[in-house]
Amino acid sequence: MSIEDEKIEGIDKVKFEPLVVAFCCNWCSYAGADLAGTSRFSYPANVKIIRVPCSCRVSENFVLRAFQRGADAVVIAGCHPGDCHYTSGNYHTRRRFSILTNLLEYMGIEQERFKVDWISAAEGHKFASVMNDVLEKVHKLGPNGKLRDDRWIR
Amino acid sequence: MDKITQKIRETAKLALENGEVEKIIGWTKGDTFDDSHPVFITDEDKADSLIWDSFCVNNVSKYLIKELKQSNKVGVFLKGCDSLGFNQLIVDNRIDRTKVVVYGISCPGMIDPEKVKNEGLNKGLKSVKRSGDEIIFITSEVEKKLSSKDFEFDKCLKCRHPNPVVYDQLMTDALEEREVDLEARFKDVEDLEALSNDERSAYWKNQFSKCIRCNACRNICPACSCVKCIFDNTKAEVSGKAKADTEEQFYHIIRAYHVAGRCVECGECSRVCPAGIPLHKLNSKIIKDLNGLYGEHEAGLDSSVEAPIGMFKLDDCDSFSKQGGGKK
Amino acid sequence: MQRIGVFVCWCGSNIAATVGIEKVIKEAKKMPGVVYAKDYQYMCSEVGQNLIKNGIKDLLLDRIVVASCSPRMHEATFRKAAKAAGLNPYLLEVANIREHCSWIHKSKEEGTPKAIALVRAAVAKATLNKELIPGQIDVTHRALIIGGGIAGIQTAIDIAEAGYEVDIIEKTPSIGGKMSQLDKTFPTLDCSACILTPKMVDAASHPNIHLYTYSELESVTGYVGNFEAVINQKARSVDLDKCTGCGVCSEKCPSKKAKSEFNEGLRTRAAIYMPFAQAVPNVPVIDRENCIKFKTGKCGICEKVCTAGAIDYTQEDTKITKKYGAIVVSTGYDLIGLEKFGEYQYADHPDVITSLEFERLTNAAGPTGGQLLCPSDKRKPKKIVFVQCVGSRDKSVRGKTYCSKICCMYTAKHAMLIKDHYPEMEAYVFYIDVRTPGKNFEEFQRRAVEEYGVHYIKGMVGKVFPDGKKLQVHAVDSITGETIEIDADIVVLAAATKAKDDAATIKRILSISTDNDNFFTEAHPKLRPVETHSAGIFLAGACQGPKDIPETVAQASAAAAKVIGVLSKDKLVNNPCVSEVDEAICSGCLACTKICPYDAISPGTVEVNENGKKIIKIVAKVNEALCQGCGGCTVACRPGAIDLKGFSNKQILAEVDAICR
Repeated sequence: MSIEDEKIEGIDKVKFEPLVVAFCCNWCSYAGADLAGTSRFSYPANVKIIRVPCSCRVSENFVLRAFQRGADAVVIAGCHPGDCHYTSGNYHTRRRFSILTNLLEYMGIEQERFKVDWISAAEGHKFASVMNDVLEKVHKLGPNGKLRDDRWIR
Repeated sequence: MDKITQKIRETAKLALENGEVEKIIGWTKGDTFDDSHPVFITDEDKADSLIWDSFCVNNVSKYLIKELKQSNKVGVFLKGCDSLGFNQLIVDNRIDRTKVVVYGISCPGMIDPEKVKNEGLNKGLKSVKRSGDEIIFITSEVEKKLSSKDFEFDKCLKCRHPNPVVYDQLMTDALEEREVDLEARFKDVEDLEALSNDERSAYWKNQFSKCIRCNACRNICPACSCVKCIFDNTKAEVSGKAKADTEEQFYHIIRAYHVAGRCVECGECSRVCPAGIPLHKLNSKIIKDLNGLYGEHEAGLDSSVEAPIGMFKLDDCDSFSKQGGGKK
Repeated sequence: MQRIGVFVCWCGSNIAATVGIEKVIKEAKKMPGVVYAKDYQYMCSEVGQNLIKNGIKDLLLDRIVVASCSPRMHEATFRKAAKAAGLNPYLLEVANIREHCSWIHKSKEEGTPKAIALVRAAVAKATLNKELIPGQIDVTHRALIIGGGIAGIQTAIDIAEAGYEVDIIEKTPSIGGKMSQLDKTFPTLDCSACILTPKMVDAASHPNIHLYTYSELESVTGYVGNFEAVINQKARSVDLDKCTGCGVCSEKCPSKKAKSEFNEGLRTRAAIYMPFAQAVPNVPVIDRENCIKFKTGKCGICEKVCTAGAIDYTQEDTKITKKYGAIVVSTGYDLIGLEKFGEYQYADHPDVITSLEFERLTNAAGPTGGQLLCPSDKRKPKKIVFVQCVGSRDKSVRGKTYCSKICCMYTAKHAMLIKDHYPEMEAYVFYIDVRTPGKNFEEFQRRAVEEYGVHYIKGMVGKVFPDGKKLQVHAVDSITGETIEIDADIVVLAAATKAKDDAATIKRILSISTDNDNFFTEAHPKLRPVETHSAGIFLAGACQGPKDIPETVAQASAAAAKVIGVLSKDKLVNNPCVSEVDEAICSGCLACTKICPYDAISPGTVEVNENGKKIIKIVAKVNEALCQGCGGCTVACRPGAIDLKGFSNKQILAEVDAICR
């Protein structure tokens, strides 16, 4: 991957603007993101949020598609276990994405590029700090070339 | 072995004669020493074509999906690993247990023809017999006795279910479950885990670049039995047919993920891959993680036990949050 | 070919300050399917909404994207506007460029490209939006209340007064619950029975209320508006219609060994008994386990002495199946068992009692006729020690981590009552904190200390051990650090409250959730305290969490209001964003049925034509009335046969594609 080759220590030849796709559940984490906005917490514009009714709606297909289309990191944010609006959705999320997290790492995707976290509607600050944290790590790692679909122009 | 072949033929003949089954699925011998392939018999006179030897590695349980649409009662010969796959098909409601008569065969391990060829033993080989832990290679000149451990499939060396877990009739006596080193079970997964991210990525990229999307792995897998596979469904717009790295990676990751918690570790996927991709390493990894995180689970063994993906416990741990999330 | 209209809101300067609106409009016009793009200062205003409506009517727009504040804010507003203009409201999508964009970023350089990406995602999703029509469900205009304590009674009265039929199902032979066992209630010290019995009589005599006492709930199927419950009415062995409540049967019954549950085991009762004098219905029940006639076949005295001929030994349990539109769970609470608290000698000494036993001892209708006497030898006590927080606020396995809420107040009440009746008695209360948050509660507890001279000591009781006739109480005063020894006559333990043990059974029957302490989970702790996540099932009272009588009655009325909201409709409109199965692709593996939190998916069959043969295929079927649209099933489905309307697989993939540009 030519972009990665050019990432010589300390010198970025190409200005790296990461792309982070975040799947947020309508009842908790999306509301938490709203609160982050209302409270004017700031995090970089590289994060773009897709609303889903529950974190259990997020399929592995979506996560892999994001990586295929050039996303540098994917975040899934749901309600805290026990607080799911649909009672048990996030318990399934927890199991499914524990396996996917490990599987992606097994394929060679850095652990920092895929984050699952629990953010409640009252945790605007946590939302911003999670996003800032992910972006900081992704900046260090550089662009993601693994799983990328070369035919897709980003 | 001969006694077993005889028993198989007698059983099949009787079952077809008295109408207990309309069709029998078993194995028959082909032209070469290693060609023992599935056969479908409806006529009791053809029962003598059935054989049992060290090359009957094909898991025939998947054929039942199609066969049961045409016949009301089918008899099938299943080894230990095959019977696990059979149970998984039942759990997925793909076959009706009441329409199948299962003839169980205990299997000491199947011989890998590649290993035989690597030793040059296939030259002039007339037949191969097994006696306990020894394999006898018979050519026109000489009979060579060698240890079976050197020639069995890797997956057979790790076999934990030589005896069928479900059956209506048994063709053989039960075999002793051999001592399998639990450390060895996930050794190849651990070897890969020990590499760095980039090394692993390069490894899989290399492996998947060999994939020709023949779908043999999917077709033989007992856990892959969807009426319309998502990879065949262009309307789902989930994957395409182009020969692009990303398409292969997507296919294998998703397929491994779909069978998570349902894979019976029969190892057929790796065996049938014409490109020799070690697919079982993906499925093994998932099984290792599931066992570690959510408790030991063996798919296909006990249909009353729920598969780990699709159920949950309130205090599940997870592999992603270090604080403020899942309790460890 | 779609005709998508994009409407970008300035929100005054909230959006326009950090997002370049003209650029967004310009880019939006280039997006596939977009035929019109317009901006306005306040899209949610009437003028803004008219822009949308006119766009639909005049420009024949068939999909709308509004780029504005969060959909959680105004999606409903814009959808209503679309509907008013004749467009199906589910063809409208909102792109959140305020909370998620303009308010986060500091400059137009940052905010504008992100806003464009978010609009592109919304356009991609809207392109695939389909018209969704909410379904309608019939409603049975009758409510079921599980549990006949004060919560259940109050709920029933409120619903009945609104004109709807209500059934109360109660496990014990009489309604009334814990409140019927109490003596006086805080903070007014009025007599519990005096305020409860009129409500009990109301409930019994109201034409709209029907009581199923001595009955248990067997099963519930169905969904909001259409629940079907099977009630097991256990055999009382007494005919409810014939009995006059004279009580002669209990008097003459020779079997008097059974322990009275109502009196917390402090007294015995007959085998044929009325739980208490004011029981409703005022009809006794035969405890068949202790009845000589049922055990040996001999006796039958009660039948002989009954002048009304109401005794019927042949009665059997009857199963009743009935339909309901809404269900309220008000099963109440119990006190924890104190076997693990050996240091207080509860199990070993009759003079160490729980607070509920204390209520019975001071109650005029109790085992000692209202006289506070030591249970061991019936002598008058001189010193009474009250121990707070026995098992509450306890992190160990013995107790509960939470505060049981009512104990500080009832202990103050107990202490004041004994000082009032027996001024020469000494009362000591050992506490960790005194919690008196309600109206007039603080003043109540202060009276105990200041007017009645109750000794409040901040400290823990280490142990209690018998010393002759007395009980030596060893405690520590945590303010002074001194050890205190009191030779008490009675020790009253404020045992923690817990959810009833059968909460687990009810939970499974109704498919609602409980928390780790077995209290039923409310839909939202602040904004929806009496609803559960299951539509049509509501909660009232201590089964949802420890609470006192004022709060219980408030919650009961709240639950009644919610129930009336359901029953007052002829038809309920359900959420149209539900799952649907493509039966052609479905393999019948039923993995989806295991995920659904609402049991909305069940196996069904469909006839298919395969190679000329007709085959019955198992497929999954979704009950749209139960489905709440979480989408968990869609991920469990490997071929993607089940999809979620409004958030379909293709839509989300399109959003991902649109964002990753």
